[in-house]
Amino acid sequence: MKAREFWILFAPSFLVMGGLLVIPLVRTIQWSFESVRYGTPGTFVGLDNFADALTDPRFGQAALFTIIVTVITTAILLVLGYVVATGIDRLTKSRPLVLGIMLVSYVLPNLVGAVAFSWLVNDNFGGIVNRFIGLITGTQVLWFTEQVPNAILIIANTVWHMLPFAMLIILAGLQGVPVELREAATIDGASPLQTHLHVIIPTIRGVLGFVTLISIMDVLRMFDNLIPLSPQAAAIGNESIMLYVYSVAFADGAQQLGLGSAINVLTILLILVMLTPFIRGIFKEAKVAR
Amino acid sequence: MSTTTKRVSALIAVAVVGAVALTGCGAGSRTGNANATEVTCDYTAPDSATTVNVLAYNSSAIDPFTDTMVSSCTKDDVTVKHDPIDFGGQVTKTTATLAGDTGTYDIIETYGFVIPGLATDEKLVPLDDLFDKYADDYGLNDISESMRQGMSYDGQLYALPMQAQMFVMAYRADVFEELGLDVPTTFPEMMEAAEAIKAAGLMEYPIALPWLATADVSTSFQATMNSLGADFVNEGGDVTLDTPEAQEALEAMMALMPYMDPQVTTFDQPTVQQQMYNGTAAMSIMFSGRMNDLTLETNSQLADTFDFAAPPKVSDEAEYAYDRLSIDGWSIPFNTKLDHDMLFVMMASAVSEDASKASVPAAYPAREGMVTAENSPYGEAANESIAAAMPPIVSPVLADITNEIRPILVEVLTGSTTVEDGMARMQAAAEAIAG
Amino acid sequence: MTLTDEALSTRAITTADIEGKGRRPRGRRKPPVVTGILLGILCLLMLAPFIWMTLSVTKPTNVAFANPPVYWGYEPTFQAFVNLWETTYFSDYLVNTLVVAVVSTIIALIIGIPAAYALSRFPNYISALLLVLALIFRALPRFAVVLPMYDITRALGIYDTTFALAIALVAINQPFTIWLLRNFFAEIPRELDEAAMIDGCTRIGMLRRVMIPLMGPGILTAGIFVFLFAFQEYLTALVLTDTSSKTVPVFIATQLGQTLPMLQQAGAASILLTIPVILIAFVAQKYLVAGLSDGAVKG
Repeated sequence: MKAREFWILFAPSFLVMGGLLVIPLVRTIQWSFESVRYGTPGTFVGLDNFADALTDPRFGQAALFTIIVTVITTAILLVLGYVVATGIDRLTKSRPLVLGIMLVSYVLPNLVGAVAFSWLVNDNFGGIVNRFIGLITGTQVLWFTEQVPNAILIIANTVWHMLPFAMLIILAGLQGVPVELREAATIDGASPLQTHLHVIIPTIRGVLGFVTLISIMDVLRMFDNLIPLSPQAAAIGNESIMLYVYSVAFADGAQQLGLGSAINVLTILLILVMLTPFIRGIFKEAKVAR
Repeated sequence: MSTTTKRVSALIAVAVVGAVALTGCGAGSRTGNANATEVTCDYTAPDSATTVNVLAYNSSAIDPFTDTMVSSCTKDDVTVKHDPIDFGGQVTKTTATLAGDTGTYDIIETYGFVIPGLATDEKLVPLDDLFDKYADDYGLNDISESMRQGMSYDGQLYALPMQAQMFVMAYRADVFEELGLDVPTTFPEMMEAAEAIKAAGLMEYPIALPWLATADVSTSFQATMNSLGADFVNEGGDVTLDTPEAQEALEAMMALMPYMDPQVTTFDQPTVQQQMYNGTAAMSIMFSGRMNDLTLETNSQLADTFDFAAPPKVSDEAEYAYDRLSIDGWSIPFNTKLDHDMLFVMMASAVSEDASKASVPAAYPAREGMVTAENSPYGEAANESIAAAMPPIVSPVLADITNEIRPILVEVLTGSTTVEDGMARMQAAAEAIAG
Repeated sequence: MTLTDEALSTRAITTADIEGKGRRPRGRRKPPVVTGILLGILCLLMLAPFIWMTLSVTKPTNVAFANPPVYWGYEPTFQAFVNLWETTYFSDYLVNTLVVAVVSTIIALIIGIPAAYALSRFPNYISALLLVLALIFRALPRFAVVLPMYDITRALGIYDTTFALAIALVAINQPFTIWLLRNFFAEIPRELDEAAMIDGCTRIGMLRRVMIPLMGPGILTAGIFVFLFAFQEYLTALVLTDTSSKTVPVFIATQLGQTLPMLQQAGAASILLTIPVILIAFVAQKYLVAGLSDGAVKG
């Protein structure tokens, strides 16, 4: 295909993405160096916003919380996704039904799923989870005021929402494991666990890498589910970075656009750093495939 | 296309058609608010079709006035539109709509606390001329003078008062009777009653207060200080957060905590209502707008066990009650493009005598003598409460100071900071704002 | 081994395989009882929040949120749905949500299909670079893009319109859309292109007449995903809408923390929003699965 044809076909999409993604991004970077409110031009303040953001303990706490939740959620998604995918791999007739049911939590809007979750654990509003916990252990868990239970709640909700996705992709990967490979391992006397650990998982490393990548990308940006699940986020240190940006730059009449933009820029840098290994991998393959 | 594709497309088509078709079926018609009514709303309509956007949060006390406005003033080509929104959302949108030269909303609900700040920034249209013009048609002179004062700043009226809210204490009359307890008039008496209820094994945390860490808790702190005759700033504008009154207030609040749910800093007023509905708490103090809900059987099976009283004082020596007086009203934003006369008529009709009468007992209208012990289950408590409240200190920086000190206040209450440290930090933060 | 590893892609993985209709290992297979039970419990747990919400919404208000919870002995009622429909502008919000979803899907496909095709046929460093950029853009914190959009739409006077929201979502989801479509296009051998063009078709004509019909399932998959993303969107809608173009998720969020009837209405709205989406999940399962798996396996 000639270059001219390429650009003719690619132009509309390129323009839309350029105009609506790149230009706003440039604006954000511009704002991060200014003190500015909506609708009024800003005044240049150099690196002040970045200094404010980096010395604000609230930002540090938000970043820490977001990264920890991301790492834990990704790990759980990989393990649980793999286990469930293996299980579903064994089914034949009931597979469509199970897949359909599993997809429900993924296609639900994140906010709606989180609201439903919050009703389950809020015993002031009749949630049953604490009843069961009370029956078993005799204590009450403060899901909304204490940091660790709240973090567990958020992780549980995120895993619940993203498990179908992880599971489906790993399931696809499992289909690509040659049958002969599995049988060879069994013939050699490997136990099922050994087969999984030493044969199957290495074979689908690429797929697992993909799940890790998407999971990190998505959980780092969590926002929707914190609204119903963590109304006290700032007070207990369970704010995510996006929630912090929202409260700084938009909510409650706050209009610190410059500071909010600086935090956005810092987050972008953070995401780029975390994505570097994957990006390098893709470039390497692209070179190989030439 | 495969059958699946056809099926999916058909489903989507049906959904779209269905939704569009059902749009006409009485949607958004606001039928059924028992406390709203239809009143005269005589304005000169503009030539073309117009939508008037009203910004007002949902609450059992505000809805009657909003709904009256929507149903009475929507006619011919003019539609009055009110989207449901929570209080936090209203705060966000108020700032957003007042930020630029054009805004989304044409009538906004405001309350005494923010009037000084908004007036100073010239975000609201002064209403004195319009008031005089339409006073006779809508009986506006019967609106309580002191409430009009509360919505004025620098001699000009910036909002048309619709109702007042004051703290009222709601308690389980049946529990109190069963244990032979008197209605508490001070914080120590509240704690004694709570002890007795706990000892009888009836409830673990008999007191419930709205102490939401991102909003209501600062109102409670202010009310506690008011009871002791002080506020965050004094008349002269100096910050008074490192005073003995502030210390006593903080300590009084912390003394209540063992009798309240450990998650009390997540309680907004609806959650406190829920504690009462479920029989988890026996005493609560909230704004009067929340009281009517407690009497409705549709909300709780305990509805007929609640009784109301004026809020207690912090201590025997305290001069005033633990109380905050909030006046809610309607304002015209400076950047609306619609005719101010039309907007004012809409606002006036919503606070007319018939509308105000209909809103009782859901609300406490701003008109003189509307609420009595007879027509409202908490009427007597409300009137006593107003009489026992400290006259408010008006200052344009109070709202910003409150936002700044709130996180520190929460740290003191949860024990992350000592009282002394907290007071010092709050003083410093507030002084940075007061300038 | 990497995403484009030869060993992985020698045997193309189709949705038939994932659905269990492909090659199966030899040997007799016992019905997996233990696995079945565990999966059954998992399915129940995955559905539990949704089931609980449905129950809460169909109870009378004074028992819906009662603590201790009331499990039986009440009369189920649809009053919450009736209130939702009659006392709020829910029908408007629903129409807004659907309009935004449909418009953004159509536009996303119209501009995404040629772009994805071009990317799949133009083997060059630039193509890989653009893909990486697409990946990075998908990873961006959305506020970095949406806050300036808020400013721009207010300045242009298109703030609070379904059009603005739809276009914003098209742009935000473009990286994923062309990424997905490109993978589908990559499956179609280039020889087909050449053959069609020898017969005298222009590139664009061939695209229209040959490729797109062949790509039917792929396009449908991408369309369903874009539709779903637009349907589920909260953050962008929160910032870019106000009264006229409010969507259902934004409405639901405003009902939280309000009076009990309003809380039930939030639940009712959630369920009404969710039912079409669940239907899509079941009916269009194949396409969702294909999209998710193809994205991974064919790199």
